[in-house]
Amino acid sequence: MKWRRTAVAVALVILGVALQTTLFVRLRPFGATPALALLVALAVSRHLGQVPSLAVGFCTGLLLDLLSETALGLWSLVLTCVAYATVRLRRRFEDDATLLIPGVFLISLVALAQYALLGTIFGEQTLADAQVVRKMLLPAVYNTVLSPLVLPLATRLLGERGGGRRGIGR
Amino acid sequence: MWRPSRVERSTAVFVGLIVLSLMLITVDLRASGAGLGGILRDGVQAAFTPVQKAAAFVTRPVVGFFEGISDMVGLRDENRRLRLQVADLERRLAETESLQRRVEELEAILAVEPPGELDAVVARVLATGPSDFEGIRLIDKGRRQGITVDMPVIDEGGLVGRVVAVTATTARLRLITHPTMRVAVRVERTGETGILTGRGGGPMQLEMFNTNAALVQGDLLVTADGRFPAGIPVARVAEAARAEVGFSLRTTATPEAELSRVDYVKVLVFTSDRGGSSEEEGEEPIEPPRETTTTTGSGPGTTLTP
Repeated sequence: MKWRRTAVAVALVILGVALQTTLFVRLRPFGATPALALLVALAVSRHLGQVPSLAVGFCTGLLLDLLSETALGLWSLVLTCVAYATVRLRRRFEDDATLLIPGVFLISLVALAQYALLGTIFGEQTLADAQVVRKMLLPAVYNTVLSPLVLPLATRLLGERGGGRRGIGR
Repeated sequence: MWRPSRVERSTAVFVGLIVLSLMLITVDLRASGAGLGGILRDGVQAAFTPVQKAAAFVTRPVVGFFEGISDMVGLRDENRRLRLQVADLERRLAETESLQRRVEELEAILAVEPPGELDAVVARVLATGPSDFEGIRLIDKGRRQGITVDMPVIDEGGLVGRVVAVTATTARLRLITHPTMRVAVRVERTGETGILTGRGGGPMQLEMFNTNAALVQGDLLVTADGRFPAGIPVARVAEAARAEVGFSLRTTATPEAELSRVDYVKVLVFTSDRGGSSEEEGEEPIEPPRETTTTTGSGPGTTLTP
């Protein structure tokens, strides 16, 4: 069971990263694209144990780092923070489902802002981008719009209760 | 239920992963993207390319459909007239238009004449970077086709970017609009030179060396940079400008290439230190590109030699 969940989590991450990098090559509504890999890392982190969630966040980020030209570790750091925030907040999300959608928006926005800040610190000049606010806000909005599709899919594949409340303490 | 010991464990792991990330960043920056990081990037990109190709194959029709829809929004007036006659065919028309535009784009790019007699490799954009900030595109041609780092990339409009990483079968290029990109340009009308700097999305910033020569809206800027062949169209001045108090002459310029929708591109087999020849210090000579086109002559009679 544990291996099945791990395999499903890995498959979801790979699918998320593959779609993130291919689906939006030409399809860029208002010049921005969803941060799908971030959303998948968040969705998976809701259902795995605490440490596995952090590992998934870190590995998803590492995969993004290896597929880009940014400093290795930049996305790892950001998505580890996303996983940690999700792990700390997921009980509240379970207790009050209305918090989930705003939570997705806020976590996405803060993560992209964190990436922009770290990117600037580490020489990517991200904050010099004339559309930096748009590139943080729109992906967060798109993630919020996509979350009713992605989150239930992750819940269905990873198990609601088994990975949810029981998984929290791991 | 609050479980402090377990929270502390996850917090400890979190802190450990953050420290590990910071170490990775430090090591990678010190190695300037080479070393273990470079090897890992090449390996993972090579392993992930089939997945991306499969995903691109599956998603292209979906993207094409939505592209057709967005094109219709831009042609609303014309479509309003057409809608009366062909309302039932609109969806099929959108898909057909999208397909036709891609064919035209490919035909146009095959006819683009690179400066001089440079070899060029036609490639298709396979994937994009993980976020909008990176300005990265992955193309489906790589070292085997003769592509190396730093080669310029153009489309039917003009300069698209520069190759920043190469694997055997793919290459990553960085768009000219990325904030780290700077291109020396010459105003075609006046011959004055300046520097174009990327600003992420939107127009690029142009700073002229000679502040006395005014810029006119629509002035074409072409490459005048040793890293690129001279004369490639890069951007057009978006706003006319005169020097203020004689100190600086700055304005904005819009890239000639359609960067947000780039699909087919041409990689020019050219690097700054060899000007198109295959000699490069410290590296093995590059194999002759196999899937290349060489242009000879100019104008409509240009011939493409496979």
